[in-house]
Amino acid sequence: MAKKSATKSDESSNSKSDSSASAVSDQLREPAEIRYADQLEALRQNDSDPRPRAWRLSPRSVLTYIIGGKALKAEIRGQKVDVPITRKFFGDDGVVERSIVTLASERALLLIGEPGTGKSWLSEHLAAAISGTSTLTIQGTAGTTEEQIKYSWNIARIIAEGPKPDNMIPSPTMIAMRGGALLRFEEITRCVPDVQDSLVSILSDKAIAIPELPDANMLWAKPGFNVIATANSRDQGVNELSAALKRRFNYIYIPVVADQKTEVEIVRQRSTELIAQYELPVKINAPILQMLATVFREIRQGKTSEGVSIKQPSTTLSTAEAIGVALDAALHARFFGSGAVTPGDVARNLVGSIVKEDQADLAILKEYNTLVARKRGVTDVGWKEFHDTLAGQLP
Amino acid sequence: MATPGIESMTATASCGSTLSAEQLALRVDAVLNDNLYWFPVRHHSAAVAHHLETVITQRRPKVVFLEGPAEAQELIPYVTDVDTRPPIALYSSYRDDDNVLGLAGIASASETIPPRFACWYPLLSYSPEYVAMQAAARVKAEVVFMDLPHFAQIKPASSPPPAPGIDAELSARPPQATTDSDHLFAESGFYQSLAQAAGYKSWDETWDTLFETTDRGDPEHFRRELATFCAAVRATIAPERLVQDGTIERERHFLQTIRTKMTDDGLHPAEVMVVCGGLHLFLDRDDVAPPPAAPAGTVLTTIVPYSFFRFSELSGYGAGNRAPQFYQTGWDLNRSGRGEDLLAEYVVSVLKQARQDGYPVSSADAISITQNARMLAGLRGRAKPVLDDIQDAIITCCCKGNPADEGLPLQRAIDAVNIGTKIGKVTLKLGRMPIVSDFHGQLSDLGLGELFDREKRINLDLDKRQPLDERRSIFLHRLGFLDVPLAELRDRQQPDLASGLLFRERWALRWSPKIDPALVEQNLYGDTIESAVLSKLQEQLAVAGHQADLVCGHLRKSIDMDLPTLITEVQDLCGVAVDQDPAFASLVAALGHLALIDRYAIYRNLKRAELGDLIVRCFDRACFALPDVASAPDEQHAMIVNGVQGLAEILLRYERGDASGFSLDRSLFVEHVRTAFNQTTVPYLRGAFVGMLAELREVPPAELARQVAAYAQTSADQMVFAGDFLNGILAVSRTSVMLGAEPLVVAIDQLLRSADWDVFLMMLPRLRAAFELLQAPQVDAVARVVARQYGLSADDAEELTELKTSVAAATLIADIDREVSEIMSRWSL
Repeated sequence: MAKKSATKSDESSNSKSDSSASAVSDQLREPAEIRYADQLEALRQNDSDPRPRAWRLSPRSVLTYIIGGKALKAEIRGQKVDVPITRKFFGDDGVVERSIVTLASERALLLIGEPGTGKSWLSEHLAAAISGTSTLTIQGTAGTTEEQIKYSWNIARIIAEGPKPDNMIPSPTMIAMRGGALLRFEEITRCVPDVQDSLVSILSDKAIAIPELPDANMLWAKPGFNVIATANSRDQGVNELSAALKRRFNYIYIPVVADQKTEVEIVRQRSTELIAQYELPVKINAPILQMLATVFREIRQGKTSEGVSIKQPSTTLSTAEAIGVALDAALHARFFGSGAVTPGDVARNLVGSIVKEDQADLAILKEYNTLVARKRGVTDVGWKEFHDTLAGQLP
Repeated sequence: MATPGIESMTATASCGSTLSAEQLALRVDAVLNDNLYWFPVRHHSAAVAHHLETVITQRRPKVVFLEGPAEAQELIPYVTDVDTRPPIALYSSYRDDDNVLGLAGIASASETIPPRFACWYPLLSYSPEYVAMQAAARVKAEVVFMDLPHFAQIKPASSPPPAPGIDAELSARPPQATTDSDHLFAESGFYQSLAQAAGYKSWDETWDTLFETTDRGDPEHFRRELATFCAAVRATIAPERLVQDGTIERERHFLQTIRTKMTDDGLHPAEVMVVCGGLHLFLDRDDVAPPPAAPAGTVLTTIVPYSFFRFSELSGYGAGNRAPQFYQTGWDLNRSGRGEDLLAEYVVSVLKQARQDGYPVSSADAISITQNARMLAGLRGRAKPVLDDIQDAIITCCCKGNPADEGLPLQRAIDAVNIGTKIGKVTLKLGRMPIVSDFHGQLSDLGLGELFDREKRINLDLDKRQPLDERRSIFLHRLGFLDVPLAELRDRQQPDLASGLLFRERWALRWSPKIDPALVEQNLYGDTIESAVLSKLQEQLAVAGHQADLVCGHLRKSIDMDLPTLITEVQDLCGVAVDQDPAFASLVAALGHLALIDRYAIYRNLKRAELGDLIVRCFDRACFALPDVASAPDEQHAMIVNGVQGLAEILLRYERGDASGFSLDRSLFVEHVRTAFNQTTVPYLRGAFVGMLAELREVPPAELARQVAAYAQTSADQMVFAGDFLNGILAVSRTSVMLGAEPLVVAIDQLLRSADWDVFLMMLPRLRAAFELLQAPQVDAVARVVARQYGLSADDAEELTELKTSVAAATLIADIDREVSEIMSRWSL
């Protein structure tokens, strides 16, 4: 691994090579362009395909960065090393291809899907690979204002000096437009429609009007500027985008992960990264990950591998929730358990993930534990521990 | 994601040996430099058709050996006839009249029924085989079909078990249709590795990328590329798979046909061409084993018009084409020198179709889609977009949400444009098969010939007491039984006797391109409509075994189809089935059929006494079977309640004296309903059973109210089932509810007052469902009781039901409702 050879003497450096879980940083969470800086640099050095204007990488290299590829030879911090390009997004590669192409086109990109399907994750990596920065972000909420999308003023200096370009506080949008970079707009459908519509002129004219500055009353976006928005499909209809705005976005739907093998791989990779981030000396073994993914899949689908029909909860049991349970189980094992994650640790941390808004989901978990886990526990000690622990957690 | 070149890959054969690129190239050179000129094809590929046409025109061979069914050799002139227009299909059927294969009773329903097998060989105007036949005709070359007849591949019952490593089930399966090898490509190790490396999601996508969208330049370069690809595929297919698939036996027939013809006609290799699937180029030329001989039996071949829909994979035809119209458009545009317009033409067609279906798309979308498709193709390493890129681009640019939900109308538009509506035509010089002639003759005799002159729907109201109408009815019933899609029965006599239209039938007739193929398929059963119906019904009776509902249903069909020679036989079988079938649902359905047949008894000269005996036996057995289903799972509850109602209706009908000579045992029915009531723990079924007892006056109406009120005294977890119980009562009980409306309303009121809010919410859906079962007069009656209960006067009640909406608003609502219905209807919702 390139990072291990390169960062030994530079532990405090922001440059980390890849998904290696042993990375230690003063920052709780680093943005993708820092965390995967070596991979991005290796791709840049090996990139021979044409790039759209202002893109750091060619579309094909962006794709390789996100879906993974062969190790590349590169010179990182003066040393020639092989840099493995790890897979960042699991699922349909077509989703990534369509996203990249959209960002190279006239239209903006809206990633839509159930909670926890990896929309923000994909958005962050796309921005990191294409623009070299994933931090030009607006978090949509019911309280997001038009000023947060466009610009605002330093009131004290306005009073003292009047409206001047230096007195303006640029929004992430404005910075992205000036730099020809990607703007990330998270949870766009949480914003009220009037605020959303302030994006219409930004997306169609690629400009922001600044009437307060007669001599510089338009800011024009540089090539490379575009928007990646995300929206939760459960919010559809709450603050649905206007027809005008919809036309300016290509929607790309990210489905819940379809197969067990992929889901196990996602949980394995992400939980390993998080465990490293929290500096936990624990490891989650493959059978435990299999069990966790199995429980989530079966309850989500309402059917077990033996064909038993069970009720489905009101919560979306996303892969992100499974990763959360894995991390909680690791924390529990580290601080209150033996240090090794057990089926009991998984069971202990399951209730909070599945029972959220509706207490009736407790009955569903109970049904699963009684009908499925108990039966499996007759022949499998792991499932028996899972059942017994979960039974103790349920009223 | 660059496409890996074939030359850079190594093919690892499943037998363990590894072929280097150089060895593969040598293998390819050996075939391509052979004195005999071999041209590889993929069925239904327009690109292959284009190059093949060029080669035949340039080489002007004397003979073209084609991978077509040898038994259909005589049909070639009709395929190339100027009046024949694809899509068409060669059809070949085989009937083992003397059971020479020993498969009677194994591949057919009984030992007395001869096994039948059939195959279709569809051809599009851009199928390489069709284009080759046309080109050969132009250069006056003879075309020879060299493929082994499909029936020669059927393994006799006496054949030894397959060798180790060969799937016994697969190898015993008769050939299904055509000679498509796509599945072998998709299974090969080479393709699997290639798809993984290049990111291809399907074999179709791979083919289109590597061969369909490439430049239509030098045919020899194309031939070499395709041959090399096929060599790598063949090297990575397990040899036993080719045996199991019948490929080896077919290739022996290829070789035998080529050698015999060349020897007999004294042909030089340079004077002939061999056109076959790409895998066959690498057949074992040293294999001297003879192909299997064709078994004796009746063989029929013909050509029938086909449709693009039947061609499409959506129709379930396994060896189909995923988008017949898309490739047709590409073929047509290429021939007129406008191949580059395919993307724009296709996108505009899809958007037009989507707009017609009410999906909001604009011209700006069309521009974005074409840009997006080209960029996707570039990202995926393709010079031009293939169908997958274009479809992805359409979904990306136009679907504002989940493609499986919001995008469904768009997907339907894509499917419609992919498939198209083209229908083929066959020259009249070919003549018709006997069953097709019989069909057209009867159609003309019955005054229905005009259907084929005007492609429009005709509604036919028949009164079967009129001789012509009776004959028409029999004919249409027979066609329906043979799955010939000419007519659809709209108003059918109901087994529950609800309609009362005993002698009247309403049919909707419409000509369809599927009629001729459907008739041709039925030729296996007989040469006339009547003989085919008799054979097929006998086969279905053998399959039905002792399932009373199926056998009695067949008796009804034999009466509808006027098959007097079969009726007695079927009636006997019905008796056996009724005595042996213990299933409540089956017995009730059988009783429904028998009761309806009984109404025809005199009209059709049936033996009434025997029929009556059958009805009594069936009724009695259904009563005895009722308690067995008292604890059935949820999904059977509706069937049980319908069954109980059906039994009660038939009981009451015969009690009223509609029948003579026999009667049904009321006490037996009451006793078993009561037993079922006592046994079941399911509230819905309990309600239905006690409701039925009330309807039969076996319990007073007030008892229903008492049972409902009893729920008010139970715990919350029991009380929530009151809605199910009431639903069961109202599902079967009409009169008794009207008679006991007052106490029932009081009981429900008492129940609702006892329920807390959560329990009420849980009961509510089932309570609503229960009251929706009531008809308008019953709702009014219950509403009046409720009004009185709460002290409302008659005037107040009138005011409550007065319409407050304006006429204009009501009209607007009606218009919107109609438009929504039309859109949903177009979307088949």
